[in-house]
Amino acid sequence: MAGPSERHVLFDRSAKNVRPGETLLAALARDGWPALQRSIRYHRPRGPFCGVGHCTGCLVRVNGRPNVRACRFEPAEGDVVTTENSWPSPRFDLLGVLDFVFPGGIDTLHGFRRPAWATRAYHRVVRRLAGYGAAPDPGVPAPPSSPPLRRTVDVAIVGAGVAGRALAAQLANAGRPVVAIDRALRPAPVPWADLLGRTTVTFLPPPAPGGDARFTLLGFEEPARGVEIRARAVVVATGGYDAALGFGGNDRPGVLTADGAFALLAPDGRAPFERAVVVGGGERVTDVLERCGDAVSAIVSPGDVEPGVVRRASELEIPLYPRSLLLSASGRSRVRSVALRTRGHGPRFSLGCDAVILAHRRLPTPQLFFQAGARMEWRGGTGAYYPWLAESGETSVPGLFALGESAGYLPDATGDTTARVAAALLGRPLPEGAPPPRVASTGLPDLDGYYRELAAEPRSGRWVACPCEDVLLEEVEAAHRAGYRGIEVIKRYTGLGTGLCQGRYCLPDALLLLARLEARSPPEVGYITQRPPVVPTPLGAFAALADVGSEEEPR
Amino acid sequence: MTSLARSSYRVVVVGAGVLGLYTAVHLARAGAGPVLVVDRGFLSSGASGRNGGGVRQQWETRATVRLARESVAAYRRFGLDFGYNIWFRQSGYVFLAETERELTRLRAVHDLVVSEGLPSEVLGPERVAALVPGIAPGASVGGTYLGSDGTLYPFPAVWGLYEAARSLGVEVALGVEAVGVDAPAGRVAAVMTSAGRVEAPVVVNAAGGWSAEFSRRAGLTVPNVATRHEIFATEPVKPFLDPMVVRVSDGLYFSQTMRGEIVGGVTVPNGHGVDGGMPTSPRFLTGMARALVLLVPRLASLGVLRAWSGFYDDTPDGFPVIGEDPRRPGFVHANGFGGHGFMLAPAASRRVAQAALGERVDLDPATFAPARFFSSDRPTSVERLQLG
Repeated sequence: MAGPSERHVLFDRSAKNVRPGETLLAALARDGWPALQRSIRYHRPRGPFCGVGHCTGCLVRVNGRPNVRACRFEPAEGDVVTTENSWPSPRFDLLGVLDFVFPGGIDTLHGFRRPAWATRAYHRVVRRLAGYGAAPDPGVPAPPSSPPLRRTVDVAIVGAGVAGRALAAQLANAGRPVVAIDRALRPAPVPWADLLGRTTVTFLPPPAPGGDARFTLLGFEEPARGVEIRARAVVVATGGYDAALGFGGNDRPGVLTADGAFALLAPDGRAPFERAVVVGGGERVTDVLERCGDAVSAIVSPGDVEPGVVRRASELEIPLYPRSLLLSASGRSRVRSVALRTRGHGPRFSLGCDAVILAHRRLPTPQLFFQAGARMEWRGGTGAYYPWLAESGETSVPGLFALGESAGYLPDATGDTTARVAAALLGRPLPEGAPPPRVASTGLPDLDGYYRELAAEPRSGRWVACPCEDVLLEEVEAAHRAGYRGIEVIKRYTGLGTGLCQGRYCLPDALLLLARLEARSPPEVGYITQRPPVVPTPLGAFAALADVGSEEEPR
Repeated sequence: MTSLARSSYRVVVVGAGVLGLYTAVHLARAGAGPVLVVDRGFLSSGASGRNGGGVRQQWETRATVRLARESVAAYRRFGLDFGYNIWFRQSGYVFLAETERELTRLRAVHDLVVSEGLPSEVLGPERVAALVPGIAPGASVGGTYLGSDGTLYPFPAVWGLYEAARSLGVEVALGVEAVGVDAPAGRVAAVMTSAGRVEAPVVVNAAGGWSAEFSRRAGLTVPNVATRHEIFATEPVKPFLDPMVVRVSDGLYFSQTMRGEIVGGVTVPNGHGVDGGMPTSPRFLTGMARALVLLVPRLASLGVLRAWSGFYDDTPDGFPVIGEDPRRPGFVHANGFGGHGFMLAPAASRRVAQAALGERVDLDPATFAPARFFSSDRPTSVERLQLG
C-alpha cells in the first residue's frame, strides 16, 4: 500500500511506489536486484555499479528523456520510466546473443569491410546497435528549464563533504560570504553557509586575469537547471570515489563499488543482496560493514588487512581472506561465485556470493584542477594525479585551493588543512609546522604488484577493460601488439575511456597495465586529457548560460 | 630519446596527420626512396584526430568540388586499400539557409555541384524537416542536400595510413619535432629535428595548424593563420539523424556518429595562433548548446559528454597551399586546408607527392600554388564555403 506521501511512477508498465527522499534505484532495489541495463556492444547484462551517477549500469528513460541515472533520480508523481537498450527487457534481451556469437569481441576497426556492396547494410545494423537510449522524444519539453541560477560570491567551495563543510563553517564564522556546492541530492546542511545541493560544477575554466570574481564555475542543478557562480577564490574539495578492479567477469551484475552498494540500501539498511564478498582490507571495508554488515559473507583483500577490519570482522563472524587474487566472477545475469587464489602461488578456492563489493582503493576526483590549468603531479601511492600544492593548500593557480581527499591529504588531516586554507583566505598567518602529510608521491600503488601476479594466472571469463564502451582487455593488448603506444593513442584506438564515465573506472588500471606492457612508468604512459564537462551536462542547462564569457577569453 | 634510422632521406614529411601520412604512402608507392615522417605529438594528436569526420563535395568553386569528389571516391575504397574500416557513411550533407539571400547563395553552389555531375538537391522547408527530425518550425527557409556526402570515423583512417606507410618502408618518428631547415644555397639540404639533423633535398610541410610556425622556422613568411575551433560530443543515443547538418549563417554543424553521439561545433571568435593551446571556452560550450537547442529543441535534455578543440590552418582565399615554394626550392607546402584537410586529403596528397617528386602537379597553379600569395597577379578565385 502506498503511503500518503509516496509517489506513483510507471516502471516498464507496472506501477511502483517511491518513498519521499528515495531514489528510483533504491525504490526498485526494495523489490530485489534491479536489472536495468545491457552493455553497449555485446548486450551483456549490467547492473548498478558506481552508485554516484558515473557508470552506465542504471540508465533509464524518464518521460521521454534518455540516459537518466536511476541512482541520482528522485521521481515525481506520475513519471513514466522505461528501461533502455534491450529487447524485450534487460533481463531477457535477444541481442544478448552477440555476447556468445563474438567470443573474441567485435572488431569494428578491421571488420565489416567486405563485400563492399554490403557497406550500407553494415552501417545500418551497427549504427542501430550503438547508443544507450533512443533520442529524446520530439515534442517532449526539456525538464523544467527555469532561468539559470547565478551567484557572485567571495569563496566558492566545491564539495560539501567533511573537509568542505569544516572550511565553510570556519569562513562563515569569520563573516565571509561562502557558497558551498554539492552533488548530493540531500546534502546535510552547512551551518551559516549558503549550500547549493543537487548541483554539480562541471566546468571550471582557467580564471580571467585580474579583477574580482576571476573564477567562473559552470554546472547544473538536477535535473537540468543551469548554474553559474562567480567567485574570487575557489576551494575544490570534491573528494574521491571507489575504484574498479579488473578480473574475468568484472562487469557481471552484482559486482559494484562500495558507493554502488550504498545506493541500493533501504533506509533500514536492507540490501538486495545477502551474501556479498567485500574486496579490500582498509577503512572503506569498515564503512561497508557498518552500513550493510549483515549482508556480507566474506572479506577478500588484495593485500594485508588492517587491524580494525580484523576486529570488526571477527565480531560479525565474517571470514577473512587476506592477500588473495580475485581471478574471476561467474554467473551471467547475476554474480554467483568468485574464484580466488592466495597470493604467492597459494591454493585456488571459490566463494559463493550474490554481490562483490569493491572497497579496496579510493581515487581522487581531479577533473576541476586539470580544467583550471593547475600544475598536476602523479602520486605513486594511489597511482593518481593531484594538484601541486603550496603550504597553504593553494594550487599553482592563484586563488584555487585544494582540500581533503581530492588534494591527496590523508583522512585524519582535515583539521589542519582546513585551518591552513581558511588562514590563507582570511589573510591570517598559516598555522605553524609542516603541512599535513599527503599520499606518497613515489613508488607504485600496491595494486601494481597485485596485477603483475594476476597476469601470470590463466584467464577465465571476459575481463572488460572499459565497461562503458565494452572494450575488452584483449583489445587493449592487441592495440599494444599492433605497435600503438601511450594511453592517449590506446584510448583513440580502442575507445577505452571515451564512455559516459570518461575513464574514471577504466583509466587508473589501464595505466598500470600499459606501464607493464610498455616497460615504463605510468606517468610516461601518459594520461587522458580531462575534458569538460566533468559529468554529462544537459544541453539545455548550458544553453541557458549562453551569455557567459562574452568578454575576451584569457590567453 | 628517439633516434632515427638513417642520416639522410629523399623526403622528410613534417606532420603525421592524415595528409602527411597519405603523402608518405604515395611517395613510397612511387618508389621515391627513403621517406621520413616526423611529428612532435602522438599519432592523431592534431586536427586529424580532432575533426568531426565530415566529407562533402558541396563547395563554391569547381576546383574544390573536384578535389572533394576524388577524395570521396578514395574514402569509399579506403577499407579495401588500407585494411581499416573508417565507417564512411554516405548519408548526405544538408546546408541550411535562414534567409532568402543565403538560399540564393546555396542555389549557386547547387548549380555548380550539379554541373560537375553530382546530384545535389535544393530543399524546401518540408524536405529539410524530413531530413533533420525535430528541427524547430521556421528555423530554415530551405537548403541544399547531396546524398553522396557523408561522415567517417577519423581515427581508423590514421591507423590505416600509419600502418600502410610503415609496411611500405616509411619511417614514422613520433615525438620528434622539426625545428628548422638547412638551406645553405637557398635550396633545402637538410632538416633539423629534435632527434638530430637529417639530410634531405625535399621537405613537405604538412604540419596543419603549426604549418606557419614551421614555414617561419624555414625562413619563409606565409599568410596561413591558425584558428582554434571547438567541438563537442553528447552522450550516445540511438540513431535519429542521418545527414551532417550545416547552417550557413554561423557555421553551426552537427551529425550523429556511428557511435550515436551528436558531434558538432559552431564558429566562435577565438584568437589566432597556436600559443594558447587547445582549451575549451565557456563561450563555445554554452553558445553551441544554445544554437543546437534552438535549432533542434528535442536535444535539450541530452547531456554534453565532452568538448575539445583543434586548429584550422586558414588561408586568405580559402584554398589550401599545395606545391613547392619558389623562394625555397625543395620546400613543399601541403597546408592551409582551413579545417577541411581530412576531407580533401586523399586527392590533395597525391598532388603533394607530385610536387615532392618534382613532377608536374595536377592542379591549377593560380588557385593552389604557394606563389599566388606573392606574385603580382592577385588571385581571382576565392572559396568561402569554409563551414562545418
